[in-house]
Amino acid sequence: MPGLREVQERFSANVLDADAVGIAADVKAGAFEPRLRLQVYRNNVFTGLTDALRAVYPVVEKLVGEGFFLYASNEFIKRNPSTSGDLHAFGSGFGSFLATFEPAKKLSYLPDVAQLEWNYHEVYHEADADAMDVDALQLIAPDQYERLQFRLNPACRLMQSVFPVIEIWRVNQEGYSGDQTVDLDAGAVNVLLLRQGEEIELHPLDAGDYAMLAMFARGDQLGDCLGAAQRIDAAFDLTGFLSRFVGNRALIDFTAC
Amino acid sequence: MPDREFFTCDPIPASAGIGLRGPHYREVVESSPKVGFLEVHSENYFGRGGVPHAYLERIRRDYPLSFHGVGLSLGSTDPLDRDHLRRLGQLIDAYQPDFVSEHLSWGSFGGRYLNDLLPLPYTEEVVNHLVERIHQVQDILERPIMVENVSCYLEFEHSHLSEWEFVASVAESADCDLLLDINNIYVNAHNHGFSAGDFLHRVPGSRVREIHLAGHTIKHYDQGTIIIDTHDHRVCPQVWALYREAIAMYGPKPTLIEWDSDLPELDVLVDEANIAQSVMQETDHARVA
Repeated sequence: MPGLREVQERFSANVLDADAVGIAADVKAGAFEPRLRLQVYRNNVFTGLTDALRAVYPVVEKLVGEGFFLYASNEFIKRNPSTSGDLHAFGSGFGSFLATFEPAKKLSYLPDVAQLEWNYHEVYHEADADAMDVDALQLIAPDQYERLQFRLNPACRLMQSVFPVIEIWRVNQEGYSGDQTVDLDAGAVNVLLLRQGEEIELHPLDAGDYAMLAMFARGDQLGDCLGAAQRIDAAFDLTGFLSRFVGNRALIDFTAC
Repeated sequence: MPDREFFTCDPIPASAGIGLRGPHYREVVESSPKVGFLEVHSENYFGRGGVPHAYLERIRRDYPLSFHGVGLSLGSTDPLDRDHLRRLGQLIDAYQPDFVSEHLSWGSFGGRYLNDLLPLPYTEEVVNHLVERIHQVQDILERPIMVENVSCYLEFEHSHLSEWEFVASVAESADCDLLLDINNIYVNAHNHGFSAGDFLHRVPGSRVREIHLAGHTIKHYDQGTIIIDTHDHRVCPQVWALYREAIAMYGPKPTLIEWDSDLPELDVLVDEANIAQSVMQETDHARVA
């Protein structure tokens, strides 16, 4: 009599690795052969995981079509099985998978669109945050500015793409009825995804703003961040930057080191 | 997520409730449907904040709550996922649900998750394993959990207990309550050729704390039909008949309408809950009379 661990090993191998031999002998045959009964589970498992991907990557699905998405997600599931009982944690690597997935190679913008959608998914479930205490910031002595560290809203993500991913994302939203043509050579874009209440906003950022936020996210101090931003953009204006990103709550806290 | 112990734990009454899913959040808040309680999948709130928590916090003020887990992999032989339990524990602290439940199934092996409710052999080894795991979970969560019977599409050669003996044995040995899914009993009775009525009569009624009702899908093959537990239809007449039988036997119980795919309008769920409610009222009257 096989032990429980042995049964589970053979069962999961049957479902995930299509190992048709192992578990079938442990399954009662009747009107339906074991292979067919196991097929029900294989189907349920792949459908469940594919639906999870579909929920996170609607734009990717729209771009490649239902049939191709199903094919790609089946291959992804086999090569990158879920590692959590929380289905919302599944699918983080889909973008990198698509980058190396031969049949999708021609759609060079697809991995970045997938990354944007994964970021969106994460931001949706991230922690809430209160706005920055601006009065406290005004009490900081000017000689301490340089060493200030700013904390980003947990419900935000930064990314860069050589493709116009915001535009691709926008024209592929459900309910969008305008022109769906996107010029893929429109140029690189820096993106800030930021949740405000129930809404998630996608902001294109200029190079200076992006550098500042990305360095804050790494824990760098204001003096270093500002230096870097000014090297990128000589006209970089710190006051304007702070009012934009404290105002929209991308920056929610600071510490004086 | 709300602060710890922001809510007091409202007991779930012996009434009909509905499963709360994302597309209905707004309407539930705006229309406050008259149902006895709401049940959510715990894993849908494993994130730290955002829309799901914002709604659950508002909704929790108006309804008693039940947390139903689908991802703990209770019956797996892998070690219990401590991180999963930690997050579940935080949710319980934050929302103070009356019920916390999981399935008598497994869903992972060797760290790979299949994210499904997979079948277990009905043997003493498995009963003992589940009892140990239920105790571990209850020790970590510092509260009791209920366990639910699942739908099944195959049987193992070496199972030597019937499903109801298995379910009863786990509940008795672990000293825990049952979440009896009557649709799952109906599905399994069809798929494996036993009497659903016998199942109802042979599980310990005093341990049934909650009942689940759902719709299913019949798949046709050359050799016959297999019923799949799809949670995408109304409850079928045969399952309503079994439910009447169960309520007559066990008395009124908190009863949940589960619907997960092809989600209908909220009204449809409330309508199904009202049917369950009237079954409980009629049957209760019949008992009193």
